Amino acid sequence: MAHLTRFGDRRGSIAAAVTVLLLLLGGGLVAKALTRPEAPAQPPAAEAVAPTTAPPVAPQATTPTTRPGAGPAKPSSASSPDFGPIMEPSPPVSLDIPSIGVGTKGIVDLALDKDGKLQAPTDFAKAGWYAAGPTPGEFGPAVIGAHVDSKSGPAVFYRLGALRKGAQVSVHRKDGSTARFVVDRVARYSKADFPTAMVYGDTKGRAELRLITCGGAFDHATGHYVDNIVAFAHLTS
Amino acid sequence: MRTTSKIAAVALGTTALVPFLGAGVAQAADGSTMATLRPVALNGVPANGTAMVTVTGNRINVTMAASGLLPDNPHAAHIHFGASARHECPTASDDTSGDGTLNTTEGGPAYGDIVVSLTKTGDTSPKSGLAVDRFDTAPGGKIQYERGSINVSSDVAQAIVDGKSVVVVHGVDHNNDGKYDGNTKSDLDPSLPTEATDPAICGVLAAAPAGGMDTGAGGTSDSSTGMLALGGGLLLAAAGTGTFTARKARNRA
Ligand SMILES: [Cu+2]
Repeated sequence: MAHLTRFGDRRGSIAAAVTVLLLLLGGGLVAKALTRPEAPAQPPAAEAVAPTTAPPVAPQATTPTTRPGAGPAKPSSASSPDFGPIMEPSPPVSLDIPSIGVGTKGIVDLALDKDGKLQAPTDFAKAGWYAAGPTPGEFGPAVIGAHVDSKSGPAVFYRLGALRKGAQVSVHRKDGSTARFVVDRVARYSKADFPTAMVYGDTKGRAELRLITCGGAFDHATGHYVDNIVAFAHLTS
Repeated sequence: MRTTSKIAAVALGTTALVPFLGAGVAQAADGSTMATLRPVALNGVPANGTAMVTVTGNRINVTMAASGLLPDNPHAAHIHFGASARHECPTASDDTSGDGTLNTTEGGPAYGDIVVSLTKTGDTSPKSGLAVDRFDTAPGGKIQYERGSINVSSDVAQAIVDGKSVVVVHGVDHNNDGKYDGNTKSDLDPSLPTEATDPAICGVLAAAPAGGMDTGAGGTSDSSTGMLALGGGLLLAAAGTGTFTARKARNRA
């Protein structure tokens, strides 16, 4: 009988230990699941439709008077187009997007890799600027990219997909000035079919800004998201 | 039935034609390029700008903005390229004459010859390289230039797409008297002073970045549901073993 009791006691203490272990593991997972941020917001699909269907270049439509064979150009074509506000070059030092709670300091320079692809910042807590392109506020598309998340949680552009048309974006620059932009649209594009010309190409006479992060599904095989979220903005002052 | 087969025939014909049309349209590689224009070494012009060139087959579209140039004087602007050039903007070491400034010829080894004249109207060939009456005069020191459908050779289109061409805006008021003058004649046209043709700002037309960016490590990508379910399951199991332990303890008591 003593033998049986000891056996019963041992079973009891094993069960107790297992209970504690299960409580710790289960409780831990539930707590992690509950405190874990939701998947990052994605822009409405409609925003991506209009720009992708528009041709990247429309030479005939924009400058009909210079079409070859159109004869001598009319005097009106000789007058300068109006490009809107343009700032002197000065590199960015910090970025504020109040509507999605972005306020980041110490913007790093980004370069292209050997395949011509724009490299992301190595620091998940910093935004990066494509330093071979225009500075924010200059004519053309200035490009600022940042991570949506790290391996463990949200990063600088975690909420970029929640940015909406009309939102204000301020880029503070090394010369002490601030380039103020307003968002025109935010869209999600497949990396496999990225609209390179629309994002990095001619801005049709404006100083513009592109904010880029990742979106869509995460491909565990490649370790990358399959889409990019791109915010298009133009300089207002 | 007859209509259907006719439509089918037309559809078939169109499908058969498409590859040929495609082959005819695609000549040089298409691409978007951009140059940030910065002051040419030694010439000290406090000007800057951006030029964007979009290549579609043998045609290019150009938009360019610059500021800080000598106001109200013509600024010749070109796309330069030379197969044996360095495909870059000149540096101080290109001052072969040693006079402390760079003229257009001295910049040649860096950026090559004129291949496109960015005139406002009319001809855009190298022949118009010094057509001073057709270039922007930079009112207020600013240039805002836009011109579409400029025809270029396949070689030039390819050079632009490959990032080997250079945009140069000329016109340097070395003595800051508000006009092009001085005794030094232009190396390009002896009827002009060198101030009228010296390179002011310059930038290599580089290809736009290829594709998107890899800006995420996935830490927030997976849904929390799986984790929640597993955690909940473990807690339920804990309730089970807990009950067992409690019953044992009761039995002993
Ligand atoms: Cu030139």
